[in-house]
Amino acid sequence: MNGANEVYRGTHRGAEAPRSATRSSGGAVFLTLLGKECLELLRSFKLIWVPIVFAVLGIMQPVLSYYMPIIIEKAGNMPEGTVIEIPAPMGSQVLADTLSQFGVMGILILALACMGIVSGERNSGASALVLVKPVSYASYILSKWLSIMLLSWGSLLLGYGAAWYYTWLLIEYVDVVPFLLSFVLYGLWFSFVLTVTLLFSTALRSAAGAAFTSLGAAILLTVLAGLIPKYMAWSPGALTGLAYQAATSPGWLQMEPASWWAVITALIAIAALLAASVVLLKRAPARD
Amino acid sequence: MTAQLMEVKGLSKSFGTMKAVKSIDFSIQEGRCVALLGPNGAGKTTTIRMLTGLLAPTAGEVSFRSLAPGEDRRALIGYLPQTPAFHNWMSGMEYVVYAGRLCGLGVSEAKNRAKELLERVGLADAAKRKLGGYSGGMKQRLGLAQALVHQPKLLVMDEPVSALDPLGRREVLRLLKELKSETTVLFSTHVLHDAEELCDDVVIIRSGEVALQGSLASIRSQHRQPVIELKLDEDNTRGMDWARAFVQRTNSGEASYSWLSEAELRGNRLHLTAAHMDQARQALLEELARHSVPFSRLEVGYSSLEDLFMKVVGE
Ligand SMILES: Nc1ncnc2c1ncn2[C@@H]1O[C@H](COP(=O)(O)OP(=O)(O)OP(=O)(O)O)[C@@H](O)[C@H]1O
Ligand SMILES: [Mg+2]
Repeated sequence: MNGANEVYRGTHRGAEAPRSATRSSGGAVFLTLLGKECLELLRSFKLIWVPIVFAVLGIMQPVLSYYMPIIIEKAGNMPEGTVIEIPAPMGSQVLADTLSQFGVMGILILALACMGIVSGERNSGASALVLVKPVSYASYILSKWLSIMLLSWGSLLLGYGAAWYYTWLLIEYVDVVPFLLSFVLYGLWFSFVLTVTLLFSTALRSAAGAAFTSLGAAILLTVLAGLIPKYMAWSPGALTGLAYQAATSPGWLQMEPASWWAVITALIAIAALLAASVVLLKRAPARD
Repeated sequence: MTAQLMEVKGLSKSFGTMKAVKSIDFSIQEGRCVALLGPNGAGKTTTIRMLTGLLAPTAGEVSFRSLAPGEDRRALIGYLPQTPAFHNWMSGMEYVVYAGRLCGLGVSEAKNRAKELLERVGLADAAKRKLGGYSGGMKQRLGLAQALVHQPKLLVMDEPVSALDPLGRREVLRLLKELKSETTVLFSTHVLHDAEELCDDVVIIRSGEVALQGSLASIRSQHRQPVIELKLDEDNTRGMDWARAFVQRTNSGEASYSWLSEAELRGNRLHLTAAHMDQARQALLEELARHSVPFSRLEVGYSSLEDLFMKVVGE
């Protein structure tokens, strides 16, 4: 013990003078936080099972479309000689269907995976130990947000890429441009919804509350955009419809001004939601 | 080493209508070890959380003398909460390195420091184990290691030994004795004995207010009062009757003795707080002889810090 004691004092004296020089910048702190978030995703296996679920969902859609006529033929007790004519599906339609699968199952899984990202640490008190260190509240929130973005964009790319590849193998080749454009639009929608989840995870004690509030908001926005497209075309809720259009239209989608507004408001909303999360966290960094 | 490190002025916190901390003032000198002493619910944790910046005060301020303009006060503080919580999927080593990196240490610096500190708090063997499997005592010691990682100017601990068994308690107290010669320490406790063992200064708080503060030595000498304890023979009614009458006489003000400031009967023991020791001894012996009171023991001494604490806190 005494030996260690001297070591401590020795380094203490040594470290005193060049102290500010050895302190690294806020960037290093941010990367440390981000590294911790990613490691947590890995250790909790979210980094593994979420992409796997997306890949399975993505592969399922083209495979089902391809085998559907055969399945119906085998399963149905059709009288001898009946000829069933099911038109071969369009490749682009299969991709749009895949997206709508992601819009239900995918977003549910992502919201469940991220719902406790702030509230969990705050309720346990683990966040108190991080936030008494010279760490900015914005880095804390942004590191969590970026880890969510990595998980969601990565999973979406994997799942949607798999869908595109299997569509090509089994049905037909779909151009890269509609594929990528619909991917980006859908990714933006995911980012928006999950940023809402992050905000509610900061605002609410309950993780499930955060997941269901944000999913509810997502459903509300999509329904509104579908019901009164004239008035809601600028809202982020219009992004899903836009992504389906992008997938099914050949080449570049001709975006109307209102549709551009949907993209812009989504980006602004994400920034505002993040700022609100930082403010909420600053107000009460930890609970007892 | 008398420069002032931190000053707390008019610090208050209300939760709704409940006033948990009511305008507390105190200051901490550099190099001192200060105990925040008070019973359960006195507001120790609330005060400490405001010092560390985890809780926004309703009113008042906390200022650090050595803080350069624009510098974060959190860089000066190492904090060990009452019940530290960690990321359970990390190992002890990973956590202390992570804490060091968050405080701005470089990768290799943080690693060396973590190794050194884990050894110091006796967790070297458990360094690779997951924190989820740590016992309460181990978590407390890990909390200490992570609080020290950036060599804080002020080490703040909330009841560092309350949750430990006697052995762990002695271990941590020994560690704290070493630490207080290296940095300024503030810790809260509800056990006077711990404060007496470690501290230079105490701030006693009771229901959110400072009841008494100062250096332990000065408090001891200022508030030392001569006390006399008289043990009576329980079966002997004459003695008990006299004692009851005596207490009643003094308390009702019927007879005021210049040498006596307080009298109290607890069971068969008569506690007297004297104003002046020599006079008191003389006068009491005369009184006892006059009534030929049968007593079994007479003890003369001075009030302990414990008596003072109980009096201050119990009021
Ligand atoms: N978040 C809160 N909301 C409402 N009341 C609170 C809150 N935190 C503390 N209190 C109240 O403030 C008072 C002081 O609490 P505090 O935790 O500071 O006491 P303490 O001295 O640390 O006690 P202990 O020795 O039990 O830890 C208590 O009466 C408590 O009920
Ligand atoms: Mg407490």
